[in-house]
Amino acid sequence: MTDVASRRDVGERPAAPERIMTLTVNGRPYALRMDTRVTLLDALRDRLGLVGTKKGCDQGACGACTVHLDGRRVLACLTLAAQAEGRAITTIEGIADADGPHPVQQAFMEHDAFQCGFCTPGQIMSAVALMAEGRAGSDEEIREFMSGNLCRCGAYPNIVAAIRDAASRGGHDARL
Amino acid sequence: MSTVESRPRVGAGVNRVDGPRKVTGTAPYPMDFSVPGQAYGALVQSTVAAGRIVRMHTDAAEGAPGVITVLTHENAPKVGKGPTTVLGASPLPPLRNDRIVHHGQHIAFVVAETPEQATAAARLVRADYETAEPLLDLHDPRAEQVIDPWGMDTSRGDPAAALESAEVTVRATYTTADNTNNPLGLFATLAAWEGDTLTVHDTSQWPSMVRTTLATVFGIPESSVRVLVPYVGGGFGAGLRAWPHVVLTAMAARMIKRPVKLVLTRPQMFTSIGHRPSGVQWLSVGATRDGELVALDHRSLTSLSMEEADYEPFASGTAFAYRCPNVITQDRQARLNIAVPTSMRAPAEAQGNFALESALDELACKLRMDPVELRLRNHTDVDPRNGLPWSGKALLECYEIGARRFGWSDRNPEPRSMRDGNWLVGYGMASAWFPYFAQPCAAQATVNRDGSALVRSAATDIGTGTYTVMAQLAAEEMGLPLDRVRFDLGDSDMPNSMMAGGSGLTGALGNAVHDACRRLVRTFAELACGDTDSPLFGFSPDDVECTDGRVHPAGRPDLGEAYADILARHGLSELTSNGNSTPPVDTELGMSLAGAYGAKFVEVRVDTDLGLIRVARVVSVIDGGRILNEKTARSQIIGGTVGGIGMALFEDTVTDPRTGRIANGTFADYLIAVNADVPELDVVFVGEPDHGTATGTKGVGEVGLVGIAPAIANAVHHATGKRIRELPITLDAVL
Repeated sequence: MTDVASRRDVGERPAAPERIMTLTVNGRPYALRMDTRVTLLDALRDRLGLVGTKKGCDQGACGACTVHLDGRRVLACLTLAAQAEGRAITTIEGIADADGPHPVQQAFMEHDAFQCGFCTPGQIMSAVALMAEGRAGSDEEIREFMSGNLCRCGAYPNIVAAIRDAASRGGHDARL
Repeated sequence: MSTVESRPRVGAGVNRVDGPRKVTGTAPYPMDFSVPGQAYGALVQSTVAAGRIVRMHTDAAEGAPGVITVLTHENAPKVGKGPTTVLGASPLPPLRNDRIVHHGQHIAFVVAETPEQATAAARLVRADYETAEPLLDLHDPRAEQVIDPWGMDTSRGDPAAALESAEVTVRATYTTADNTNNPLGLFATLAAWEGDTLTVHDTSQWPSMVRTTLATVFGIPESSVRVLVPYVGGGFGAGLRAWPHVVLTAMAARMIKRPVKLVLTRPQMFTSIGHRPSGVQWLSVGATRDGELVALDHRSLTSLSMEEADYEPFASGTAFAYRCPNVITQDRQARLNIAVPTSMRAPAEAQGNFALESALDELACKLRMDPVELRLRNHTDVDPRNGLPWSGKALLECYEIGARRFGWSDRNPEPRSMRDGNWLVGYGMASAWFPYFAQPCAAQATVNRDGSALVRSAATDIGTGTYTVMAQLAAEEMGLPLDRVRFDLGDSDMPNSMMAGGSGLTGALGNAVHDACRRLVRTFAELACGDTDSPLFGFSPDDVECTDGRVHPAGRPDLGEAYADILARHGLSELTSNGNSTPPVDTELGMSLAGAYGAKFVEVRVDTDLGLIRVARVVSVIDGGRILNEKTARSQIIGGTVGGIGMALFEDTVTDPRTGRIANGTFADYLIAVNADVPELDVVFVGEPDHGTATGTKGVGEVGLVGIAPAIANAVHHATGKRIRELPITLDAVL
């Protein structure tokens, strides 16, 4: 029963300090008063209403919450919101531009690279970063470096096809 | 009246109509909804597998910051039991009494102002148990066995005598592991009451059933319950029940008079929403020396929870898969202290087909006969159970085309004979089937004043493409371009629909949509043909077609007029028709409804030193009847194939044999196929529209998975000479 006792101690501790954090998401700054333990994922979803970033495990194992921090992909469930202060946070809501969808989004639609669609925002955020990382050179490379993003519907071959297509058209600069 | 002269066998692979929402993150899943004033729930689950709760300690949780209430069996209102459905008895309501029947059973529900407060307080709830020794072993003689739970045991001829006298026999035992559905979307419920009216956002594959269940449980009219699920987030069978956590969330919301939202955690997804049950299968096959089957004896024992039902007749497929005069199939379920099992993609067939198709490969080896040839020799064009011809079965074409595309003739039949450097190469194949299934469905079609159409039904799109293919079907029936038709679903206020399950929805709902659209076109035709101002005046409504949004005499588009013009002239803002479908009956049709068939060809590579098993190629040739959308149907087959690779090589929900706790209940520990595990997959559709139904579809959600595990196991045998009869096949088994 010692673990229960220690858990009770945790519960009876005073509330964790809150403070105001400024998060810059998709180019827009937001000031939020939050518990310092809030993850970036919960801050995006619950505080900012940006629910395109998905929670599939909350344990860093599925990739559904992939976002970009300064252009690099990170798992928002394993990142504290406080760690993202002062950095550029990009989510699925922020990658299209005024002209239309991002080439990777377009390629995902053309190649039917999703089914239920739940993992799709994370897949697309990983795919965009993958191309920027120069990791989309071959199908084998795409498969390997997309393996942190689980898709239970099993759309993997179409995800590979979509990324191959988008990469061959010049990545971000291409308009399909 | 005719709407379409000739239907394409394979419909255009148009992009999903919901694609733009899914790629931009704007498709709302149940966990994405919020309403003002909502509180948050967190589950407390049993840490023992059997016994009773002596005392609940909730004081600490009740005093924790933000906590509104803590529900346990001591204070929860007793609610009614949900209805029995085609899938059997409803899961039992939560917090009924002090009895514990499995590890991870919900024993308390904490409601607080924030999700963090609810989660933190849930950790403070403690239970004192009087524990009992849990029954966890399928073979435990103390476990109650349910005999022939679905009335599907079969027997024909004299299998015992035929086995006794057979020239060649194979007798083998196969086991399959517990697998967990694990859709990526965490199951979520958001329940809000307004007086006695309940609105629920819920992760479900069957909103009509959830509505009925909640109405029954809370004793309110069905018209007072609305269940919404525009996007599901995957289900694979897990969304076919109204689970206890759904009832709990609605119960708590009613008690505190505020909306309550619950999102399951990933570990809770292993114990709260079903799983594919483990089982052992005993198979005896008798054949002549030239490969003609003379006897099949297929028996299964599978795991079941203590109090619920689960449709899982593993052996039943063997009764119709091949021509064989002497067959017995028997299914038994053992009641254990495990969480409720439920359908997981291709229930029963995934497991039963693994055993039968493995045993046939063993027979082919014994006969020194090609495995494809063995299947050709035992093919049947009639249903052996009733002697009726199948409503459509292009399985012979599946074998032929599959073997050719795969290059099956390059296979050296000798095990361990093919190598590529350090890799042993193996070719394996299997047949696949998934039986026809349908339930009643309704749909409603409306043409608006501008000539655009809205078609609706309380169905779900779990990723199969329902939004898209139903819009395509309606557009075709009404002669409208696709962008003038919207299909809406995911709302129990819409016409009743069957579940997205059993590969049945596309056919059953398609027939209802077909019916609604045809009735609607007929209404327009009757209006126009009886109207002196219409160019259709005087024509018979029986002889009217519609194309390009215009109703016209058959073959005379020049004499037509637009839907919008007909509405305007009659002062109507819209016209609506309802349509229905009921499952056809074999004996009335004079045909046996076939379901989907397929042939699977797999190449595996096994590292000689490390035992590493890689799937290098898969060819799936599928008879899915009429295919409404080549692109989404292909996705169903590749998705099923990926699920089959997982079942064959990775997936194994491990229960601790002493405590009944699931030991690998996370995505880090429970392995599913990832991108790098899946090669390029070749998919071909063959056959013709099914003759048993109006739309001619068969449903392709499950047949993609069936047959993959045995084809892999057979390929592993071909590569290594080792016959693995236990799934998943891990590298230690081949070393």
